[in-house]
Amino acid sequence: MRRSRWMGLAMVLVPLLFYAVFMLAPICQSFSYSFYKWDGHSAATWVGLDNYLSFVTDPVLASTLSHVLVLIGFFALLPIVLGLASAALITRRALPGMALFRFIYFLPQVLTSVVVALVFKRLYGPEGPINESLRAVGLGSWTKAWLGDFDWALPALGLIGTWVTFGFCMVLFISGVSSIPTELYEAARVDGAGPLREFFAVTLPGLRSQLAVALTLTITGALRTFDLVWVTTRGGPGTSTLTPAIALYRAAFENPQVGQAAAIGIVMALLCLLIAVAIGRIAERE
Amino acid sequence: MNKQTSPLKFLRLAVVSALALGLTACAPGSQAPDTAPTAAPVTSIDPASAGEVTLRLTDFWGANEGEWIESMVAQFEAKYPNIHIERTQEDWGQLTSTLNLQISEEAGPDIATANNGWQSLGTLAKGNLVLNLDQYAAAFGWDKLIPSTIARQNEFSTDFTKIGEGSLFGTPIARVQPIGIYYNIEKLTKLNVAPPATFAEFEAAAKKAKDAGEIPINYGSQDSPTAALLALQAVFGTAGSINDYVYGNPAVTAEQTGLTKAAETVQRWNEAGWFTPDHAGIDYQTAVANFVDGKGIFRFEYQGSLGLSVEQQSKFGYIQMRNENGGTVGVGASPAALVIATKCKNPDVAAAFLDFLMSQPAAQTAVDNGLIPLLHSDVTTPANMPLLKQEIEQIATIGESDGYVPYFDWASPGMLDVLVQQMQLMYGGRATPAELSTAVDVERNAFLAESAS
Repeated sequence: MRRSRWMGLAMVLVPLLFYAVFMLAPICQSFSYSFYKWDGHSAATWVGLDNYLSFVTDPVLASTLSHVLVLIGFFALLPIVLGLASAALITRRALPGMALFRFIYFLPQVLTSVVVALVFKRLYGPEGPINESLRAVGLGSWTKAWLGDFDWALPALGLIGTWVTFGFCMVLFISGVSSIPTELYEAARVDGAGPLREFFAVTLPGLRSQLAVALTLTITGALRTFDLVWVTTRGGPGTSTLTPAIALYRAAFENPQVGQAAAIGIVMALLCLLIAVAIGRIAERE
Repeated sequence: MNKQTSPLKFLRLAVVSALALGLTACAPGSQAPDTAPTAAPVTSIDPASAGEVTLRLTDFWGANEGEWIESMVAQFEAKYPNIHIERTQEDWGQLTSTLNLQISEEAGPDIATANNGWQSLGTLAKGNLVLNLDQYAAAFGWDKLIPSTIARQNEFSTDFTKIGEGSLFGTPIARVQPIGIYYNIEKLTKLNVAPPATFAEFEAAAKKAKDAGEIPINYGSQDSPTAALLALQAVFGTAGSINDYVYGNPAVTAEQTGLTKAAETVQRWNEAGWFTPDHAGIDYQTAVANFVDGKGIFRFEYQGSLGLSVEQQSKFGYIQMRNENGGTVGVGASPAALVIATKCKNPDVAAAFLDFLMSQPAAQTAVDNGLIPLLHSDVTTPANMPLLKQEIEQIATIGESDGYVPYFDWASPGMLDVLVQQMQLMYGGRATPAELSTAVDVERNAFLAESAS
């Protein structure tokens, strides 16, 4: 018995070693960097928790967290609500061409995010199709530089995220609904439940684990947003669309503040971990 | 549970010790010496007698700049058949963000193009990753060749608290790339306006253009709004005050460098509708493409960045606006600082190559490729390039007034971000020109205080 356990250890040793060298060691390194003020090359100075306190003392860095909250609304909540609604509608009756539907809605998920960003940058442009359509229907006064407007840039970016994650949520929920026993629906109907009642009594509880997966992936996705913002607004106008990931990149590569970058990275990792654990806990609770 | 070590316990122990090792590792970067060691004095340098040498060069030059460096490499290799230069081209953003890492690699470049200022060159010098070139400056006579206003752009004090004085850590090349104004010849002629030379003439021309229903100034402020601001700063401020500010003289404020007045001016133009409509949603590439396509009469731009074909060149003209205090001040520098990696095994040969990039043939090769020469005026311009001829003439006025000022964002690593953000805030009605200047002062003074500590 004992021999086989040591055998097991020997088997996992190689992958474990890789994990230690390429995951654990860099994480520990980042963690230790985060307590220093360091340009990446010359001698570093110990600054204690200063890099972490920047999240409180530096209003720009603090604002990145509130931007993430807005993005979570667009990347996670909105697509999940839409995904649930469409999954509930679509699965009520087998429609011809369903596979095509699913394919079309899922398409954004397989597109490279840079391509998506470039396409939307064009759509949102001053001379882009969105403004042109507004002009065509006589709403010329509503046109604006969507991604260059302090009030609209963040929601405009958020809607790109909604477009990307909506299909993913929907497909996930459709597959979840199909695994709910049909007897439950029949029982609900026998009890005289309408479509709405049926949704809240059967569909939603049955999708608990899919909801957990969707929430975890989309919320951490929102927290990590980089490429979408980098390609479209670079955090502008001003700092109105700055995300923690962009702030991290700037600190690490543009302005040599490696310690600050490490602290941002650690905070992002902790938040992701916290969200994943919290959602997991809630989903497991009956 | 038995008392013998179980695999699980062993694992736990391994992970904990790995974590502990990571945490207790000595302070990052602590091995680097505080000051760069000074190399032994150079007696004589003759690349021809250096034997077979291969140097790795990494630069961020594409298009005709790329052709220039390819040609320079070929000329150098022809002159010294025993020297081989392997060139790697990377894009600007990629190289400036990773050069610090690349140059410390054993397989990294021996010679590279660095961005001036603290962000790149200053960090490399401070980290002892690039050579102090003072000895080569003496050996090759660079101190006589390079005008002091240009040499300053590559100098840092050896305690790395000051920029713009001290030792030479990079060399310019025999080319310069200032910010100027391009204009659409056909449209300006149609308005019956002569190319403006002064600020008053420029505003009069822009007003006339607006009245005629044209877009006076092609602009995009989504990612790079700064060229217009810095060009105007060079119109209102003196060369001395801008140099002093960027090189860290704490007695000079941004307001005194003409920055506030420049910000007020672009804001006034913005409100008067002289810029491209909705410029907040237009990025750099789109703005340039629009201008080349004939949208807008004027455009503030880095010389040579419009990417004009030979045929297109005949459609545009170039102006270096006069300074309000007399003479011409121009934001301009050699388009990179050439550095030699500390780990380079043949620094003498590398220095000889840098010397070659500052030579008269380098300046002539620049002109042949449609670029503006620096350091040498004895060059011949091809007759079929009217725009280049005009650019060279206009830009020469900067040199005549000894009016070169460095790019303003060299003042501190975060300055470019601050400028871009503040300009966008200003156009969005969320900051005033005075607040822009204050934010710039805060950024620079915080950096000065930090580097002094």
